[in-house]
Amino acid sequence: MADRILIVDDEEDIRVVLKISLSDLGYEVYTAENGEEALQIIEEVTPPIVLTDIRMPVMDGLELLRKIKQEDPETEVIMITGHGDMDLAIESLKHEATDFITKPIKDELLEIALKRANERITMRRQLREYTEHLEDLVREKSAKLVEAERLIAVGQVVEGLSSAMKNIVEDLESGLTYFNEMPCFVSIHNSNNEVVGTNQLYKERLGNKIGHGSWEIYASSAASQENCPVGKTFSTGKGQRRRERVKNLNGSELPVMVHTAPIRNRDGKVELVLEMAADLTEVSRLQEDLLTCQQRYQLLFDAAPCYFTVQDRDLKLMAANKKFLEDFGMQFGSFCSQAYSHDGEPHPECPVWKTFEEGESQQAETVVTAKSGEQYNVLIWTAPIKNVAGEVTHVMEMSTNITQIRQLQDHLSSLGLLIGSISHGIKGLLTGLDGGMYRLESGFEKEDQERIKEGWEIVRHMIGRIRNMSLDLLYYAKERDLQWERTDVLTFANDVALTVEPKALGHNIEFVRDFDASAGEFEVDAGVLASALTNILENALDACLEDNSKKAHKIIFGVSQDQDDIIFDVSDNGIGMDEETREKMFTLFYSSKGREGTGLGLFISNNIIEQHEGSVQVDSTPGEGSRFTVRMPKILPDEIKTLQKD
Amino acid sequence: MAKKILVVDDDPNVVYYLVGLFHDNGYETCAAHNAPEAFDMLQKEKPDLITLDIDMPEVTGPQFYRKYTKMDDLKDIPVIIISGLAKPHLAVKKAVAVVEKPFDRDQLLKIVKDTIGE
Repeated sequence: MADRILIVDDEEDIRVVLKISLSDLGYEVYTAENGEEALQIIEEVTPPIVLTDIRMPVMDGLELLRKIKQEDPETEVIMITGHGDMDLAIESLKHEATDFITKPIKDELLEIALKRANERITMRRQLREYTEHLEDLVREKSAKLVEAERLIAVGQVVEGLSSAMKNIVEDLESGLTYFNEMPCFVSIHNSNNEVVGTNQLYKERLGNKIGHGSWEIYASSAASQENCPVGKTFSTGKGQRRRERVKNLNGSELPVMVHTAPIRNRDGKVELVLEMAADLTEVSRLQEDLLTCQQRYQLLFDAAPCYFTVQDRDLKLMAANKKFLEDFGMQFGSFCSQAYSHDGEPHPECPVWKTFEEGESQQAETVVTAKSGEQYNVLIWTAPIKNVAGEVTHVMEMSTNITQIRQLQDHLSSLGLLIGSISHGIKGLLTGLDGGMYRLESGFEKEDQERIKEGWEIVRHMIGRIRNMSLDLLYYAKERDLQWERTDVLTFANDVALTVEPKALGHNIEFVRDFDASAGEFEVDAGVLASALTNILENALDACLEDNSKKAHKIIFGVSQDQDDIIFDVSDNGIGMDEETREKMFTLFYSSKGREGTGLGLFISNNIIEQHEGSVQVDSTPGEGSRFTVRMPKILPDEIKTLQKD
Repeated sequence: MAKKILVVDDDPNVVYYLVGLFHDNGYETCAAHNAPEAFDMLQKEKPDLITLDIDMPEVTGPQFYRKYTKMDDLKDIPVIIISGLAKPHLAVKKAVAVVEKPFDRDQLLKIVKDTIGE
């Protein structure tokens, strides 16, 4: 109920009576005798209800009503009318008067009017309350909505972050799909140490912990508000990194590596903490996968039938595969040139060096020497390894051992080439033979014994040379079985010496036979070994002829023995050989004699000696001379003899 | 007076054969086993004919030919190429004849006779 009420009437009696009645009803009553006075009081005390006469001097009731409603439309105005003022009463209702009562005022009617006014006031207040409450409600609900949206946003950030991390990892390890399932529990925490957002994996594995304490997932000593990584981050303001154990949904415990990062507001205060826990069992599984993968690559690297090396700018070996290490046995950090040619000098056309210079893959073919002393033809491919800036930091070299292919190719091409290269020689020999036959024939015609003898010597000599050449040819045409027999070493050696000695003496080169008289016998295909040794002796002769630095030259042909072998030694003081010539001289078509050499001689010699299971060793110093040591077994191995019987 | 033939070949067996053959057929001969030797012999002996091998070490037959044909007093001496190479006729274009080793000795003697007479 309203507490204050204003009575406006020009008749004092009515004001007094009404004041008494209304005071009895419990109102605080104010009075005014005209409209102007009333407006002043309203301004002062703002009565919720105004009771006013219509007919008054100065300002009548209707005028007052309009002004009150203009100032405060919620003020309830009750009009007091005389008889016959019905038109005015209706007019006042149009102007939002609450009610009207007629004079003489009956208390019942007054109370009804007041009740109506009070009802309106109450209703209006309730309405206002409702309205204001509704606004609160809306505000309250909106706040909840905002919070919910914020949580969703946090969740999205977390998921986005973890998927971004996944992407980064994928980019880094492109092709390795293991990392697609990055085992990371990501969560965000507020300063109350509550989880406010997690990623999907967190939810799946550790449960929906939103709203729970940050420490609840931990099984270890970190399971308290102060000690958990998030708590520590809030208390120290620094990101944490430690190993912990978390409780899985199924009750088991997982080892994790936890990282936290503080997220600060504008004032620099830590507002949120980002926690990332990586599942170490997953990580170690991935590490194992990676290791397996690496091992598989290493296996491939090692099992590939090639030599792989990685070299740096100084051409030092940084890595090499097993096969390379087996065949060349090099330490990391040593030079490839030492491995391949043993001279330690980088090869002038080194493909690795060229790759560094030009930044492109190179190809080359060369002959290298393994640690066993064997010669390999290798086809080399290189590939530059570049850093981010595009500079070549290392070069990978892949060498394929193509010795067998080359041998096959050598064999195929050798026939044609051989015929070409020695047909000239054959023609010369045939002409010489013609010469001998002519001498012989003219000797018979003239019955000149001297001519016959001369002619026959020439014929015999030429036939011998043609025979040797034919044997060479046979060696290329097909694998020729050894026609071995027990042979007296000294007789054999003397025969070989005889083929070279006259030529040596003809050039004033001393020829020394240093034979062990007790050498005995050995099992040999005398014909072919003779040509092999002759070849070596003729090379010694050529080495002396080419050397202008010494006044006198000497060739020593030695024969000695040990328990199992007969050893033939050919040494000269000719020009000698450099390392490269020494290593390549047994390869087909390698010649140090320019157009004079066919590149066949020592290749054949070596084959012949190897076919007997013998060996050749060469020592040479440029400018000082060379020494060939040929070891031949006294008794041929059974498999060679068996092969022959087949 | 017997005509004189200079035999140039690095193969001593071939030299021996040719010298014997020409000698038996009434020619005078001289011989050289390489180009420098042949050049000395050429100036000393002034032969009427040269038989020349192509493939010799150091200085080849054609190189020797080009050298002596630049000298006025020697350039008209006729030359017969006797070689084991596959296409010897390409090496010395002005040669009287080109004979491939091994050669038919009657054919060679006929070429010699046609060039310088008996």
